Amino acid sequence: MDPIAKLDESITTAPENIEAAETLSALEEVETRLLGKDSVVGEVRRSMGGLEKELRPKVGAKLNEATGLIQDLLDEKRNELQDQELELQLRDEAIDVTLDAVSFPRGRLHIIQQTIDEVIDIFVGLGYQVADGPEAELAWYNFDALNTPSTHPSRLESDTMYLDWGDPRDEVLLRTHTSPVQARWMESHEPPVYIVVPGRTYRTDTVDATHLPVFHQIEGLAVDENIVFSDLKGTLLHWAREFFGPQSQVRLRPSFFPFTEPSAEMDVSCFACDGGEPGCRVCGGAGWLELLGCGMVDPNVLEAAGYDPNRVSGFAFGMGPERLAMVRHGIDSIKHFIDNDLRFLGQF
Amino acid sequence: MKVPLRWLQDFIELPTTEIETLTTALNTVGLTVEGVEELGIGWSDVYVGRVDAIESHPDADKIRVCQVDSGEGTRQIICGAWNFEEGAHVAVARPGAILPGGFEIGQRKIRGVQSNGMICSESELGLGDDHAGIIVLEGEPEPGTPFSELVELPDVVFDLDITPNRPDAMSMLGVARDLAAFFDTSFRVPEIVVPEIDGRTPVQVEIVDALGCRRFTAREITGVEVGPSPFRVRHRLAKVGVRAISNVVDVTNYVMFELGHPLHAFDADTIVGDRLVVKRASEGETLVTLDDIERDLTPEDLIIYDDKGPTSMSGTMGGARSEVSGQTTRVLMEAASWDPPTIMYMARRHNLISEASARFERGVDPSLADIANERASAMVAALTDGKVLAEAVDVIATPIEPALIELRTQDVQRLLGPGFDAGYISGILTRLGMSVQGHEPLSVTVPTFRPDLTRPADLTEEVARIHGYDRFEATLPTGPSGGLTTEQLRTRRLASVLVGAGLTQAINLPFVSPADLRTLGQPGGSELLTVKNPLREEESNLRPTLLPGLLNSIRYNISHGLPSVALFEIGKVFTSEPDASDPRLPVQFDTVGWAVVGEVGIDGVHGQVIQADGAVSIGIWRLLAAGLGLEDVDLRSSSPPGWHPGRTAEIVLAGEMIGHVGELSPRVARDFEIPGRVAIAELNLAPLTGPVAPPISHSPSVFPPVDFDLSFVIANDLPVAKIVRATAIAAGDLLESSSVFDEFRGGDLESASRAVAIRYRLRAADRTLTNEEVAPTRNAMIRAAEGLGAKLRGA
Repeated sequence: MDPIAKLDESITTAPENIEAAETLSALEEVETRLLGKDSVVGEVRRSMGGLEKELRPKVGAKLNEATGLIQDLLDEKRNELQDQELELQLRDEAIDVTLDAVSFPRGRLHIIQQTIDEVIDIFVGLGYQVADGPEAELAWYNFDALNTPSTHPSRLESDTMYLDWGDPRDEVLLRTHTSPVQARWMESHEPPVYIVVPGRTYRTDTVDATHLPVFHQIEGLAVDENIVFSDLKGTLLHWAREFFGPQSQVRLRPSFFPFTEPSAEMDVSCFACDGGEPGCRVCGGAGWLELLGCGMVDPNVLEAAGYDPNRVSGFAFGMGPERLAMVRHGIDSIKHFIDNDLRFLGQF
Repeated sequence: MKVPLRWLQDFIELPTTEIETLTTALNTVGLTVEGVEELGIGWSDVYVGRVDAIESHPDADKIRVCQVDSGEGTRQIICGAWNFEEGAHVAVARPGAILPGGFEIGQRKIRGVQSNGMICSESELGLGDDHAGIIVLEGEPEPGTPFSELVELPDVVFDLDITPNRPDAMSMLGVARDLAAFFDTSFRVPEIVVPEIDGRTPVQVEIVDALGCRRFTAREITGVEVGPSPFRVRHRLAKVGVRAISNVVDVTNYVMFELGHPLHAFDADTIVGDRLVVKRASEGETLVTLDDIERDLTPEDLIIYDDKGPTSMSGTMGGARSEVSGQTTRVLMEAASWDPPTIMYMARRHNLISEASARFERGVDPSLADIANERASAMVAALTDGKVLAEAVDVIATPIEPALIELRTQDVQRLLGPGFDAGYISGILTRLGMSVQGHEPLSVTVPTFRPDLTRPADLTEEVARIHGYDRFEATLPTGPSGGLTTEQLRTRRLASVLVGAGLTQAINLPFVSPADLRTLGQPGGSELLTVKNPLREEESNLRPTLLPGLLNSIRYNISHGLPSVALFEIGKVFTSEPDASDPRLPVQFDTVGWAVVGEVGIDGVHGQVIQADGAVSIGIWRLLAAGLGLEDVDLRSSSPPGWHPGRTAEIVLAGEMIGHVGELSPRVARDFEIPGRVAIAELNLAPLTGPVAPPISHSPSVFPPVDFDLSFVIANDLPVAKIVRATAIAAGDLLESSSVFDEFRGGDLESASRAVAIRYRLRAADRTLTNEEVAPTRNAMIRAAEGLGAKLRGA
């Protein structure tokens, strides 16, 4: 038979053969049959050498045509079958996406730590440094340096834990606030001073829903030339807006602390309701949350630190991260903070 | 302190009685409003009635049938109270009246007899807690008079939180003075008229302790008839939360709330001798106080003595022996100025904290003593038909001078800003009762009722307070640049590495029980820093280690059904050694510790998990060390008490031992009631968070690596790290990485030895490595390991 006719027949029958293959392995057999050594194409390729010279180009061209056409059909079919197989595989290996099959370990920072970090970062953003000091502290730094009279009730053993340690003339106690760090910092630094002091503090208190014998405070102190009361207000307003949201308002009310004069309590407008919604879960309808004590640094405190109260002035404030966290997250008992129950800590 | 608006209005012409405005005003001046109670709201149609006749009820023994005229003719009312007779004037709720709580009075039959309304008790009207009987009114008020006219209702009671620097504000007078300054309105002190008769108060007073008692005034009222106070006095006292006792005692309380000066009334006939002496008590003396408790006196207690001995405790509580009783006819009224700390300590020592002690420990104005005494004496006389003896005793042991403060405008401006001029400042101070003279500096005379004002800064606060904190602008100072220190940033990084490893931060109270320390095998004696005055036994020792707290937290979680717990803590530990940098303080420093039990790592429903043990703890440490970029770290096998002796390493960082990482001794775990193994660690924080050199970069090689494994048999006690290090040194610069990927014991291995398999990757920075180059390196590595006693496995 004429090789060209053979090749033509091959071309004609190839689609049918190829289409009949249902799997990739069947397609490979088809490929061998159509293009392999014993196929028509293979035979013709082998016989090329024996052809008459003038026939060769024609047969050669036909051979290339047939090979190309068949190869294209095979490739097309192979793609189709591969797609089908992948399709099946994907269907077979589907997973239940609602099954938590793999759990990466997740730890947390304690919510008090998170609260402290968030607060101090706001002040760091304002140019403050973060200071630290001893928890077992000299009574001098805890009280005297902060203008606390020797007869002030806060010095009583009913309020302050004293340590059975050291020279009785240098009485050592567990600091009742973070303010002694103020005194220490001022003693070793010249103004300007802009610091925040987060830390642990101690009071003789029994554990109940709102009291712990050991809790945390975040203290702030700014001493510089030309610091006025309005700066205290503006600084705390900035803090409140960063912490509770840009709609926050602050309210200062006169109060009394030995280490500030004038002294104030600061309230922040309730973040949960729009000002005194009756029965609000956060403010109970008051519209304001009592959050911190503050004031202008008492001249006696500046003098005790060796600063000249006629040249510099300053303000100080103190807040409780436990209270902040309780208010913000609706935590009903301060005791949760020391149980270290993963079911509690894992919520934050 | 409770402040009823109607009582307050005795002293001030208020521009408004609107609750919200007054609350804001009080808050603004620093008299914080903690609560507002509206009284007499929610009831109406209560009138004065006269009981014209009383008959017994035909069918009931305990109630009576009364005919009462309450201004609309006589009506019949059934009443169950027995504390009144025919002719009594009472409070009648007519039918239709609404009583507190919305309770409506109707006409109804009680046991078959018609009752038209109700005769009311104090508690039914919400006026007080006396519900034993109905209210019997004094002074025969006209039947039909609205009852509210008699009892100052409706009224508003503000509950104020008075700061400790404001003794003057613990009275109607003081609150009125602040409000008058705030509203710039008039303020008046009612005139006191004392109905005196000739006579001299027949006692002498000697003040031995002039520091404890600055002033002592005493006045006798004679011909006293002790009985209940009139309803109006009782009612005002009820509003401020004080129980009525008798007309004499009630007056002392009334005047204390009115003027702020506490008083004490003696039964003058019980005073033995004619001399009262004020001095400190002697050891061993006792005094039975009004509450019938016999108190052991201490040499710090300041006591009033008569010839027989202690008769009254200064400023806190009188003695039972000289108590005013129903038989009293002569009253000695005392108003004395006590030393605040003396009263503070005494009240706490004897647990006698009261309205009086609260005022004295803040500092009661000595200039007020005679005025308060006059006022009280006049009131007692008026209420008891007594007479006041004209000549009082007034001993001043320490003279009282008003303070004089020189105030420069710039003192105020430096703290409050430039807007405050001299005129404005002196206006506010004058309204607060100060007298201001001169100009630059202003010469300010501070009345003795404000002991808290001694310096320019104190006056500045007064200006700010009355000006109103709300009226200050909000500005920001131009602070310098700050930021977190390296140590602070690295502490955060440390915490975040541990959090990333799945650990949760714990915060424990920094106390420790010696029993827990003993369980851990650690010393729990004099090495511990102890609290002198712990409230609870558990809070008497400061922790020298974080571990007991962490282990107790682990147990807490396990006992609540959580078997897998991974906690870390960063906090101070303490010892009783003196601190090297300041020997006045004990040693205290931060450590980081962790404790992990149960399953750790990635958890899969289809796969297995790792159980916490010493190896896990070391894994956490390696992650932490890598995360913190620590170099020159050595782990040495170690067996501190309480730790697993074969599964614990001490960590040596740059030659310094900084703590331990490993596993809790199973015995200790059992004693802490923790099932399973516990991975633990405790390390000094400072060496971990100190600065480290920034890493120097080198470009990753683009040439192919050569990977091969070496398996060695080594003795169990030969640390594999030594093999790794020796082979690494032998490999030199070509070594890119090495890791131990298998450890095998048993099988055909000799006991006390094990096989370890290490995977090495060699790679050159500048060329493709050839076999010819690798082979000698590999041999050198093997020889290095063999030099340590390792045998190449399968060789």
